[in-house]
Amino acid sequence: MRDLPTGPQLEQIAREWEAKGIAGLPPKERAVAEAMVERCKAIARRESDAGEGALAPIRAELAALYGEGEAGLERLAAEIRDGMLDAPSARRGRVLALLRALTLQKLSESNPRFLRAHGLGCVS
Amino acid sequence: MLATESRIAALERYLARAGGAREVTISGWRRLSGGAVQECWAFEVELRGGALEGCSTLVLRTDAATALIASRSRAEEFALLHAAFAARVRVPEPLFCSEGGEGVGRAFFLMRWVDGIADGATLVRSADWETRRPNLLSELGRELAKIHAMPVDAGLGFLGEPPADPAAHRIQRYRTWLRRFDDPHPVAELALRWLERNRPPPIPAVLCHGDFRTGNYLANEDGIAAILDWEFADWGDPHEDIGWFCSKSWRFGAYEREAGGLGAREAFYRAYMAAGGRAIDPKRVRYWELAASLRWLLLALQQRDRFLRGGERSLDLALTGRRPAECEFEILRLIDAEEGA
Repeated sequence: MRDLPTGPQLEQIAREWEAKGIAGLPPKERAVAEAMVERCKAIARRESDAGEGALAPIRAELAALYGEGEAGLERLAAEIRDGMLDAPSARRGRVLALLRALTLQKLSESNPRFLRAHGLGCVS
Repeated sequence: MLATESRIAALERYLARAGGAREVTISGWRRLSGGAVQECWAFEVELRGGALEGCSTLVLRTDAATALIASRSRAEEFALLHAAFAARVRVPEPLFCSEGGEGVGRAFFLMRWVDGIADGATLVRSADWETRRPNLLSELGRELAKIHAMPVDAGLGFLGEPPADPAAHRIQRYRTWLRRFDDPHPVAELALRWLERNRPPPIPAVLCHGDFRTGNYLANEDGIAAILDWEFADWGDPHEDIGWFCSKSWRFGAYEREAGGLGAREAFYRAYMAAGGRAIDPKRVRYWELAASLRWLLLALQQRDRFLRGGERSLDLALTGRRPAECEFEILRLIDAEEGA
């Protein structure tokens, strides 16, 4: 449900870059690389802190609309693709609300500064 | 990529042959920052004899290890740069192109170095640039009008015929891109459906830059020094370039300055139209702004896959994989705004 790479994958690439020696880079590249390493770690940390609990209400709503299991998001995407949610309806409203909630949760982990810039503080 | 002495020696031999020089000496070989898709390297060169005799700084642009689906070849990008230079668009002067990648190992082209700053965050946020931003915006409007008026001659035959319906053509392309991903992306599907159902009436396609945005031009104390990165140029609705330029993704955090993080979109529109660009339809720009968010979402997923599947252990590519949510936020907001309007 979350975007990829996962938190652990981001931690891994951050460790790889630290191990291969960011310190040896020219100052400007080093500053950029250090900032990216920190960002990878911060996303991983926020994702870990939020855990599965932060996604539970979204998963519950997805299951209510598309059934239990891992294929809910695929079914939702297919329903949009097939034009089943083109017209205004209560179901379309629920789906849009679900997508908004999921997007905000993902942003609260990957880019909380973006949310703050849009007047949205802590989401989870 | 390279930087080994043998490869620099091979490039010296290539330059001697291409430039008709008796002797060539390269020094100061360095990689330029930025360029997640292509790689750029700068170096000083001294040529003795030939048309380029003397000392100059050149830039070599070559493919990265893996490319994005929509990226043009270096030979095509070189041809586009050549056409832009001939049309007096501010671009680096293109010099030579090697499709075989002689000595370098990958196709490349060479162009003259242009002084300036490309870093979007600096141009948009630094107080040093505050008083210069209005001028940059006007100059960019004029440059874009020149690009959209560029003649497309036989040298750009690879572009094919212009599509009768640029929006339908683009939607088809994005649909194809979206199908390539294994994982579901419902907000991207939503954007595609919206773009299909709200397609504007077709207007004649022009040559679009395809990546006209803050971060892809060089600016210096004199103003706009060069428009860079022509790898996505293609036929399109001229509003597509304008929507991309105004897209929130390319304002570098200065969200209130809607035209590229530099200033008000009306000032940009005025400069574009005063320079001969066609009349801008703000509703059509909003359509292409939504398309821009979808496009950046899909490109970010392609970048992600270069990390996840292409074996490129890049921090930048990994982090780009977590950026689609920003596009999703904007897509949902724009659809809300359009449907509530």
